[in-house]
Amino acid sequence: MMKIEAIEVKNLSKHFFPSMKERKRIRMQQEGSEKGTKNNIIQAVNNINFSVKQGEIFGFLGPNGAGKTTTIRMLTGVLKPTNGSISIYGGNIWKHPIEVKQILGHVPEEANVYMDLTGMQNLYLIGKLYGLSKSERVNRAEQLLKQFELFEKGNLKAKKYSKGMKQRLLLCMALMSNPKILFLDEPTSGLDVKSSRIIKKLIKEYNENGMTIFITTHDMDVANELCHRIAIINQGKIISLDTPDNLKKLTQEYLAIDCHFIDTVNVNEIKELHSIIEVQQNNSLYHIIVKDINVALIELVDFIKTNDLNVKQVSTNEPKLEDAFLKIIERGVEN
Amino acid sequence: MNAIVVRNLTKYFTPSKKEKKKGRARNPSLESRKQGNNSIIRAVDHIDFEVKNGEIFGFLGPNGAGKTTTIRMLTGILKPTNGEILIFGQNFWNNPIKAKQIMGHVPEEANVYMDLTGLENLSFIGELYGISKKERISRAEQLLKKFELFEKRHLKSKKYSKGMKQRLLLCMALMSNPKILFLDEPTSGLDVQSSIIIKKLIKDYNKNGMTIFMTTHDMDVANEMCDRIAIINRGKLIGLDTPENLKKLKQEYQAVDFYFTKEAKESELENLSSVKEVRKIRDYYHIIVHDLNDGICEIIEYIKSKNLKVKKINTYEPHLEEVFLKMVNGGDDY
Amino acid sequence: MRISKEVFGVKGSKKLGLTVQLRRAAAIAQKDLRIYYNKPPVIVQGIIFPVILFFTFTIGRKIPTPLLISGLMAMVIFLTATSIGPFVFPWETMRKTFERLITCPVSVKTILFGSMLSSFLFGVIFSLVPLVLGIIFFSLQITINFLIILIAMFLAAFVFSSFSLILSAPPTDMPGNIMIFTLLLKFTILFLSPLFMPIRDHPLAWISPLTYFVDIVNVSLGLESAFGHYGILIDFAILSFFGVFFLFLAFMLHKKTLQKRFRN
Repeated sequence: MMKIEAIEVKNLSKHFFPSMKERKRIRMQQEGSEKGTKNNIIQAVNNINFSVKQGEIFGFLGPNGAGKTTTIRMLTGVLKPTNGSISIYGGNIWKHPIEVKQILGHVPEEANVYMDLTGMQNLYLIGKLYGLSKSERVNRAEQLLKQFELFEKGNLKAKKYSKGMKQRLLLCMALMSNPKILFLDEPTSGLDVKSSRIIKKLIKEYNENGMTIFITTHDMDVANELCHRIAIINQGKIISLDTPDNLKKLTQEYLAIDCHFIDTVNVNEIKELHSIIEVQQNNSLYHIIVKDINVALIELVDFIKTNDLNVKQVSTNEPKLEDAFLKIIERGVEN
Repeated sequence: MNAIVVRNLTKYFTPSKKEKKKGRARNPSLESRKQGNNSIIRAVDHIDFEVKNGEIFGFLGPNGAGKTTTIRMLTGILKPTNGEILIFGQNFWNNPIKAKQIMGHVPEEANVYMDLTGLENLSFIGELYGISKKERISRAEQLLKKFELFEKRHLKSKKYSKGMKQRLLLCMALMSNPKILFLDEPTSGLDVQSSIIIKKLIKDYNKNGMTIFMTTHDMDVANEMCDRIAIINRGKLIGLDTPENLKKLKQEYQAVDFYFTKEAKESELENLSSVKEVRKIRDYYHIIVHDLNDGICEIIEYIKSKNLKVKKINTYEPHLEEVFLKMVNGGDDY
Repeated sequence: MRISKEVFGVKGSKKLGLTVQLRRAAAIAQKDLRIYYNKPPVIVQGIIFPVILFFTFTIGRKIPTPLLISGLMAMVIFLTATSIGPFVFPWETMRKTFERLITCPVSVKTILFGSMLSSFLFGVIFSLVPLVLGIIFFSLQITINFLIILIAMFLAAFVFSSFSLILSAPPTDMPGNIMIFTLLLKFTILFLSPLFMPIRDHPLAWISPLTYFVDIVNVSLGLESAFGHYGILIDFAILSFFGVFFLFLAFMLHKKTLQKRFRN
């Protein structure tokens, strides 16, 4: 039997028809509009294809307004696609909404907990809506609240929670039914360091136990650290899909080693080494462009020893996901 | 001259009757700060600091630490329970209007007038600062161009994306060309491009002499932008220094991270004279050394002899995030 | 294509049948009652208005006791049963909790039914108040047919909770907007209804569904029906018709407006 993908998306599109007022506005400033406005239709998501494998953390990145949230809303059965198909483990969310939604969990971007219910009551409500029995509800709610360090505040109304606590409660709510696929829209946005660390750690743990995770974020470090594969969407189209390492390679134009020397070094002397192409000096920092990292390091160490130099810092220059992301977004228009 | 001097600044909140009845301060992050019987919440508790003229001053702390309360006191929204605030040597509360005239403030939540256009929002703020009509318009247009909002100037701001709203807020704060700019989480929730634009423009304004006071949860932003950083936790200042010095403070050992093309023997590495300890973390070796220079040389020699290859190397440096967590949590490991 | 039993659970269809959806609707109703019973718009429309209107209509007029009770019951059940729904939908759209409900494994009908159930219970509970007061103060003077009154109350609560679903259909995320619109509509209906007066004295009474409820209560308090000998049967038939019609209309409208809630 062919392996069923956790999520498979084919030719997915979502067009919004602007209201009369908006249409007037669009006509007024035709050139300023961001999204394709053929016949005044706003193409929020435009014919995208991708699949998410069972058990992976799939990152979905893009600028504000690129179509990320619209896509998540279609995948979770909130918005009806204009076109295309979504299959969740082979099931169609619009034909069997209840069965399919039963295995999904969703953490939306904005904190949509019931502010007037306590943390515990919020979880019980979700438990009921997913058809958990009473004992399951109680056990699971307690277990999750403990796991997310909210147990002591379980009987406090959610409006008294801090931002980080609300975000953790949202995660608890999404995990109540022990979903097979978890959707996370900006899980660490605006949180302090501690809350985002707790959340990142637990995302990893749940994934290691087999949960498929679909995540959007603006934080490139989070994406780099967590995601197995990353799709980049811009203006409603997917313009890149690969592993973080492969994406980063896109911006790596050359290999380089950055050295901080305590003593001043003659740039020309370094240049004479075999495996070194170019050296740029900026105060005590030497940006050394090399042919091969390993060979260059060995040569550099010899050089340091013979000249009796002292290094303060050595690091191989590594491309950043942020740079790759910006580059892809920029060139995306051409492709 | 210091742009801001804060002495003994304190803000206590008295819980409402309802909260008293329930017998506890309901804001959990404040709970441990209430004072015995009176159950007063000490949001900000006797803090002292100076912000130098022309610096970017970072104000960091966990959610609920007292950052926003402090900013609100510095910008005259909240009246301090105790202590004094000097703005360029003048006591703020002696003449709040005069002090406010030279300050700009970007609050955390987007408080633009959603039903006014971008231009109208700016023009309104200009009016409040007493700028003449002609100057208002030219200044607003100049700012809108700088922040890449000019094309959308006639759009109601409720139609703006989050990044655009944040940029408009900055424009509003800059309308009066303030001497001191307060920024509460300027890059929170923004996409990469908006963050980059905002960070760059903040730096530009700072270079031209503007003093900047900012809070953020993003340690990379703090590390990159701030000249000095104050860390506040539970209403008290627990650290104030340059990012470099803060990081040094927590550098307990020297180490190098090595990524090899194949597995290395940890025991053999540990036997090297300059190596103290080897930790294998995921795909790299965190090697703690007595002396960085000797360590690197010796390890590279060893690699040569064993025919191993180095893929990547990094001298270990504590990240500001780790320093921050250690100071705030007293070493909790997350 | 059939969906995989392996992934979606063997008990699949049976587990997710009607009773399950009913139970989930009950959970939604419970949430509504727990959260919204004390929200200002609900209290104003559900409790303060009926009290004020009662005195406006009755002070200085000599009204027979049965008409007093039937008028008050009708007003209370109408205003309370329509107070929660039109507030909850825009409120939850604004707070994004509506999106949360949609992502849960419940159908739209379940959500609507849950909301209706909370309006229903709210209406029934509050209209018991005037009935009990009536019994306490006037029980010696009249004979009461409780069974008929209770059935009529349930039916009326059903009719007006369906009506409240219609009022909650506009896909706005600003509770204030919809409250003004519903208030206008509700007052119009109240003025079209023969409250605290003989039904025959009101020329347009037949338009309002409230009329038929008032008539049933009048009959069970010992008055004669305004619609002839079999008047009470006509009342029940027309009320049921209103209920089904409102429900149908509400489901249709919600289906149309649902997607518009998720534009922002």
